[in-house]
Amino acid sequence: MHSTAYTFRFAIYVTLVCSVLLAAAATVLKPRQVENQLLEMKKNILVSVDIRPQEGESFTRELIQAKYDQYIKGLVINENGEILPDRDPGTLDPKKEPGLFGIYERIEDGDIKAYVFPVSGKGLWSTIYGYLALAPDMNTVVGITFYQHGETPGLGGEIEKDWFTSNFVGKKIRNDQGEIVSINVVKGKVDPNSPEAYHQVDGISGSTLTGRGVTNFLKSELKKYEPFMQAHLQIKKGEING
Amino acid sequence: MADKAEVQVKREKLFSKKNLKNITEPLSNNNPITFQVLGICSALAVTVQIRTALVMSLAVISVLCLSNLTISMLRKRIPSKIRIIVELAVVATLVILVDQILKAFLYNISKQLSVFVGLIITNCIILGRAEAYALQNKPWPSLLDGLGNGLGYGWILMVIATGREILGSGTFLGYSIIPESLYNAGYENMGLMVLAPGAFILLGLLVWLQRTLNKTISE
Repeated sequence: MHSTAYTFRFAIYVTLVCSVLLAAAATVLKPRQVENQLLEMKKNILVSVDIRPQEGESFTRELIQAKYDQYIKGLVINENGEILPDRDPGTLDPKKEPGLFGIYERIEDGDIKAYVFPVSGKGLWSTIYGYLALAPDMNTVVGITFYQHGETPGLGGEIEKDWFTSNFVGKKIRNDQGEIVSINVVKGKVDPNSPEAYHQVDGISGSTLTGRGVTNFLKSELKKYEPFMQAHLQIKKGEING
Repeated sequence: MADKAEVQVKREKLFSKKNLKNITEPLSNNNPITFQVLGICSALAVTVQIRTALVMSLAVISVLCLSNLTISMLRKRIPSKIRIIVELAVVATLVILVDQILKAFLYNISKQLSVFVGLIITNCIILGRAEAYALQNKPWPSLLDGLGNGLGYGWILMVIATGREILGSGTFLGYSIIPESLYNAGYENMGLMVLAPGAFILLGLLVWLQRTLNKTISE
């Protein structure tokens, strides 16, 4: 039988050894983990504007970084849609500055080919995070990705799969009056003859509630960026009229 | 450090029949999932896809081996009053290590496994083997016991995951294996299989199969 003093000593030793081990592991691995998260984000931005690795190639860490540097430019905007210069979306903490959003431009040959907006909101079980890319007309969807969620794998979890996200490509977020109607995930298949078909995508069978969540948060998120979108639309219109 | 009992082990063959039994028994007759009915929760949660089940199995095997080894080495020093807490501390440390390593080197898979890696701590197999075996036995047999039980857990997970992924999603390791023509003929993926009840049904069938094949398991 061990004495009480021994028991205490033993407990202290065990605690010390465990905590030193964990602290060491956390410190050593932290930079790589943070880098992984950043790369994951960059990869999803790239995929949302349809920049993918070539056939047979996979997205390595280096490839993601290279493509990102080549095509993507990050911007920080405020609630009124004004661009804050000298800010980098990578350093933005949405919890501390809820009024600021990091958005991204896809640039090719000096022209802006698409804008990428982060979108997030409640699905069925979890908060879903993704990126929605719009063409410069601020109406046509270039692509969408969902990269973080806790929906049921095989059901709601299918939102991250290509077969679901590719449905969004080419859909319109505005009606003829230019108002945001967003994209609705319908139950079952979209009726191609319906006048609403431009704003609808096929749902996932067995995940009506996840789909409803996506529908709801896409709309509210797009409204958030409306001032920015209007500002940049007007510039376009002005150019055409002038 | 080594007392007389430890020296004795060195003379016993490393893979004596008794030691090998530590590995083979949990694979079949004394399987942690189908016979001892431990670790069911994670067997249901991570078996929707084969890849996650595989990584989960590897994580459990490594945690189980190392925890059995550590606890067996400390077994004479652990005060019996606080033994459970010490076992938990050892297991928790190992699990967090595994989780951190997965996050750093297998980021995509760690995202899919999410909370379940952390929940290895609560996997009854690990604490069960520490209590029931490692506390009374020498390090080497304890390590083998951990390996055996980990593999026993792992192969059941793989069988369930294979069944669930093929029936539920029509894929194997993420590659489609059900031909388009079958879908066109009206075949549909079984939605039930991607939910927990699907795992229960497959697990029940496995237990049934094992009990039918092995009459020695008494009711």
